[in-house]
Amino acid sequence: MPMVLLSCDKDIPEREKHIYLKVDGEDSRDFLPVSNAQTIPGTLSERGCAFCGAKLVIGGVLKDTIQMIHGPMGCAYDTWHTKRYPTDNGHFNMKYVWSTDMKESHIVFGGEKRLEKSINEAFDEMPDIKRMIVYTTCPTALIGDDIKPVCKKVMSERPDVDIFTVECPGFAGVSQSKGHHVLNIGWINEKVGTLEKNITSDYTMNFIGDFNIQGDTQLLQQYWDRLGIQVISHFTGNGTYDDLRCMQQAQLNVVNCARSSGYIANELKKQYGIPRLDIDSWGFSYMAEGIRKICAFFGIEDRGEALIADETAKWKPKLDWYKERLKGARMAIWTGGPRLWHWTKSVEDDLGIQVVAMSSKFGHQEDFEKVIARGQAGTYYIDDGNELEFFEIIDLVKPDVIFTGPRVGELVKKLHIPYVNGHGYHNGPYMGFEGFVNLARDTYNAVHNPLLKLAATDIRGGQRKVFLEAAE
Amino acid sequence: MGCEITTKQRAGIINPMYDCQPAGAQYAGIGVKDCIPLVHGGQGCSMFVRLLFAQHFKENFDVASTSLHEDSAVFGGHKRIDDGVLTLVRRYPNLRVIPILTTCSSEVIGDDVEGAVARCNKQIKEEFPDRKVHVVPVHTPSFKSSQVGGYSECMQSIFKTIAATRVEPTGKLNVFPGWVNPGDVVLLKRYFHEMGVDATVFMDTEDFDSPMMPDKSIHTHGRTTVEDVEGSTGAIASLALARYEGASTADYLAKEHDVAAHVVATPYGIGNTDAMLKTISEITGKPIPDSLVKERGIALDALQDLAHMFFADKRVAIFGHPDLVIGLAQFCIEIEMKPVLMLLGDDNSKYKRDPRILALKKDADWDMEVVCNADLWELEKRVKDPDFPIDLILGHSKGRYVAIDANIPMARVGFPTFDRAGLYRQPTMGYQGAMLLAEQIANTMFAHMEFKRDREWILNTW
Amino acid sequence: MSQQQIDQLFGYVQERCLWQFHSRSWDRQENIDGIISTATDLLHGQQPKKHAPMDRMFYADAKAMVDDLKVRFPWILDLEPTRVTELMAGLKSKLVDQTITQSLNRELHDKLY
Repeated sequence: MPMVLLSCDKDIPEREKHIYLKVDGEDSRDFLPVSNAQTIPGTLSERGCAFCGAKLVIGGVLKDTIQMIHGPMGCAYDTWHTKRYPTDNGHFNMKYVWSTDMKESHIVFGGEKRLEKSINEAFDEMPDIKRMIVYTTCPTALIGDDIKPVCKKVMSERPDVDIFTVECPGFAGVSQSKGHHVLNIGWINEKVGTLEKNITSDYTMNFIGDFNIQGDTQLLQQYWDRLGIQVISHFTGNGTYDDLRCMQQAQLNVVNCARSSGYIANELKKQYGIPRLDIDSWGFSYMAEGIRKICAFFGIEDRGEALIADETAKWKPKLDWYKERLKGARMAIWTGGPRLWHWTKSVEDDLGIQVVAMSSKFGHQEDFEKVIARGQAGTYYIDDGNELEFFEIIDLVKPDVIFTGPRVGELVKKLHIPYVNGHGYHNGPYMGFEGFVNLARDTYNAVHNPLLKLAATDIRGGQRKVFLEAAE
Repeated sequence: MGCEITTKQRAGIINPMYDCQPAGAQYAGIGVKDCIPLVHGGQGCSMFVRLLFAQHFKENFDVASTSLHEDSAVFGGHKRIDDGVLTLVRRYPNLRVIPILTTCSSEVIGDDVEGAVARCNKQIKEEFPDRKVHVVPVHTPSFKSSQVGGYSECMQSIFKTIAATRVEPTGKLNVFPGWVNPGDVVLLKRYFHEMGVDATVFMDTEDFDSPMMPDKSIHTHGRTTVEDVEGSTGAIASLALARYEGASTADYLAKEHDVAAHVVATPYGIGNTDAMLKTISEITGKPIPDSLVKERGIALDALQDLAHMFFADKRVAIFGHPDLVIGLAQFCIEIEMKPVLMLLGDDNSKYKRDPRILALKKDADWDMEVVCNADLWELEKRVKDPDFPIDLILGHSKGRYVAIDANIPMARVGFPTFDRAGLYRQPTMGYQGAMLLAEQIANTMFAHMEFKRDREWILNTW
Repeated sequence: MSQQQIDQLFGYVQERCLWQFHSRSWDRQENIDGIISTATDLLHGQQPKKHAPMDRMFYADAKAMVDDLKVRFPWILDLEPTRVTELMAGLKSKLVDQTITQSLNRELHDKLY
């Protein structure tokens, strides 16, 4: 019975289809959690909405683009100051957010005029910025505001600006995953191929599905520079709007996050014949393998081996120091989806860590096929885990550290379990060779946390029981 | 010279100062013990607000969602409310209150929340005859008001549902501090204790600053109980400290249950705290104790060291919740600073007629601007204007880059203050709060002087 | 060639190779066909064709895999060429069975991405 009904789920037995305990000899032909399905109301799920999947995860990363959110102020407020994706131009993307501030009268009479006014105001207020993405939200989608003609009108009146529209209200789909999809497909259909850039190398690629969390993109960019590969576009870490309009010019699409960005890589292959090469950018041996594959594609294997040798000499001793001390640590990973399969084997191989439970917010069954293939037997694989399930799973697997978001991190702190920020990182970047040493360091510091030992101490010692009895 | 009250001219917002109504409603809801608010809307409406609370308090709070999707947009979302409420009741055996908070989507769809409440009550009664769970309808469409109004609306709805019948006189005082930090709640409770006044703070958020315990128990939740809310109808009076955040509930109790409502100026600064204590004394007949006279003296003593030498004539920009902004402006004047810019972040038309703002307008002998319906771009534009020098910014963390980019010292105050450690623990109200805030401002300015090498040698001999 | 040897290679591919898990059945089939065929050529000591972009991608994935297999499963170097062909055919058939034929992934056959 490898699908598991936890006791906290006795009143919502349909959760059994979402929780899998891998047993030796089984594989994903036997059991595959149901995923990308509706959340049961009232379960305290970890999921966000489709709008945030488009705005916060992908579009809002761009360093030169106004993010105009057509809705009430909350949708803008909430998708601002919640991410750690810097840029090399002073973090324009993290400093600002724009809203049409829809009020009741606009809901009643329509918000298109207000949108037009807000777009023009935004360009007027920031005259150096010429690119914009406009997003619908729940109420503006429900009242049927037609945003595309508004944006066309502005573009005809302002020939130097370009606007992309994302019609993906928060209620669409079942999670942020829907927003990834809408943005990917909209972009390839409307913007890719509308611009060409100067080609400066014989080797060109798009790097897809990396969002420069704490500088991931910028770290990896050092590798591509040393290899002499021109990155046509970054989708979308430290990226620009116009670079993404040139994606058709690349010879190769290298994909890190297949969940948020696999769609555009698939379409680039279908529409332009550009191959899709999936790699893992987290992990020492994975990074080396990814570089080897990219270099093999371009026929520059020697350059790749030289880079790997350099980086290995520089970072491997540090990694091994941590591996020696992390061996056997038990980790849980409760993040979005892909980091489950990116990390489970890399922390095992590179750091000797055992991953004992994994929960995905918005992964699809493809993600579970990957993670079940890579993960261990005896490990729980959970789709859309909720708070009571987390408590129960913690009791079952007793993790030494949990990679998850800051809010859940605050929760498990009370249970004397340290967390490492699995979304925005503690002190990254975590990608690449150097990055994985950072991850190892943060994990080591979490697992060997002196405060947690103090937290477990009851200073009343043996007297505690006496006090309790006296109190009764 | 004088005070001008203006309104942002742009239609859109660049960098909002407030979140929307459901966020404020969630904040009121988590202040109740054994309560999980259920947000009827998309999942982002609760997930991001929970993250916001976690950022500010470094704690986790439980808020549920009905996970509204396309099918609900077409066919209505009633079933998802019913499922959400019942799932919560079944899985959380100690749960006693579930506020159902509407959002923009559920209001546009037009779901009948009151009907859902009736159905849920019936179902709960059948399934759990021994339990009483208060299911509270709260209408907080995101396209009206802001987090400020949402807080007020949820508070009032909880009282309308739970404090529906009048109880015997309790001799207690209801206190509505508004959306404040646990540090303020602790301070207020201490003041009432020292005055010998039996008061109930709504909502009692003291445990939003909660411990790691050896037994791993979790204490992060509101302390206001169902019984506290029920008892409010028998109180001797209600004291509302925030006109825009708690006064509506005091008004409700006055209107429906004849509990006298006293709305005082929010107790930021010495004068406002004096007025609050005098009002409490008048209501209860209890004298102001020596201990508070001494605390007041310590605060004045500390402020006196800072005022003429460091604070005098400094031009201050203030943004945040309306009662906070107004109160801080009054406090600035006490410590010889000049509040030159006050930003209020939503379209509430009452701000322009607020007696405290009108008093500032009457008394200001320097140029002062109050911008209503403001966003943080209004702040940034003025801060960047060389003809509009600003020496200090008082506000919450969402404005941090305005200060960072313009290289202006900024003391974090209000909600949220996620980019500074532990501020939620510190009172801003009362004498002690005024003193601690002034010292935080001074230390911010001192660090800035050193960082900029701007007359930092003054501090050689201070 | 034994089933056990196929299982060893299969275990490796399952753990290491993302190309078997692309989103749709036709992409998985294309990758499995192309990469296993290129890997077979490499194990035979033949230089695979590297003209079309997809061929170069198959080569990139196949080369990384073959290099690894030689280290992890040195017995592969001692196999007769016909055995290698059979081994890789067995691996391919198992991969197709696992990731396409018997996959429980409900999105595998969606017409669109």
